[in-house]
Amino acid sequence: MATYEVFLKKDGKDEYRHAGALDAANDELALVMARETYIRRAEGNRVWVVNREHLLMAGDDFISPNADKPHRHHDGAAVAARRKAAREADSSEAGNDE
Amino acid sequence: MSNEAALREFLLAFADDEHLIGQQHTEWIGVAPFLEEDLAFSSIGQDELGHAVLLYELVCEIDGVEPTDAAIDALAYGRSAEEYRSSAFTEFGTTDWAEALVRHWIYDMVEDLRWQLVAESSHAGLASVAVRAQREEAYHRRHAEALIGSLVTTPGRVELERALDTVLALLPSLLAPVAGIEEMVAAGVTAAPLSSKSSDIASQINAAFDGEYEVQVGSGARQERSSAFGPLMARMREVLDLDPDAVW
Repeated sequence: MATYEVFLKKDGKDEYRHAGALDAANDELALVMARETYIRRAEGNRVWVVNREHLLMAGDDFISPNADKPHRHHDGAAVAARRKAAREADSSEAGNDE
Repeated sequence: MSNEAALREFLLAFADDEHLIGQQHTEWIGVAPFLEEDLAFSSIGQDELGHAVLLYELVCEIDGVEPTDAAIDALAYGRSAEEYRSSAFTEFGTTDWAEALVRHWIYDMVEDLRWQLVAESSHAGLASVAVRAQREEAYHRRHAEALIGSLVTTPGRVELERALDTVLALLPSLLAPVAGIEEMVAAGVTAAPLSSKSSDIASQINAAFDGEYEVQVGSGARQERSSAFGPLMARMREVLDLDPDAVW
């Protein structure tokens, strides 16, 4: 038995979203079982079923150093303030020329 | 036999099989061998019950009765045993998963052929029911074939072969011609009797099992019920019988 992850997408611009997982003996059975387990009420119009073995996975060790980089969490406020100050400086210079 | 009487026999045989097989499948709710199969198998059972309703509606039309829920229920649950036209194949009750699975596989193989035979029926109502049913049958067959195809190469094959012996002994009853079938073929209601498909069915079974099984056609025009019918009907009517006049 292998574990499969199931992703569903509705027609339109929505992206595929994870719906859940299931165990199956082979790919065909995984697809067949996914239909009644996750799409019995037509929750999506399209489905991806992926054997978990085929997912590229990484965990905490790989990702956690990035948790300590506050400079990547800027909201643009500092840059916006500097640009505003620069604009105001420009317009007061222009005013002086008149 | 008048054409109308023959049509009623033909439709009832199909509807009663669909109704009873739907009941048999849905009895696996909660006890199928794994969760995903529990959902899939009982969904397939629901589909079959839906086909039965559509066919009973066509019977109501012949009887000149408005096809209300009460009228459908009266046909589904309210007749005496001799008025049913179900086959021993669908009446057979089992708590053995291998038997349930092999029966599902062969039933849907036969049902698919049955719909194909009426897909271009001169009876417009029946032809339109066939279109809808065939879309659902594609999934039923894929489900059954995926399970049989993967189990047949495992040690579980022994169980399947044992079950196949049981189910093949019942299969002639499903293929037995109904009363008035010649009239129905002549009128273009069905392209041919289901019994004409027995070698097609045998070759599908033999392809899956690499075997040399033979498929026989029964007789009796479905006028008699098997011993499994009474207990099955009692299970189906269990709640209804608590208060036959209850309003739902």
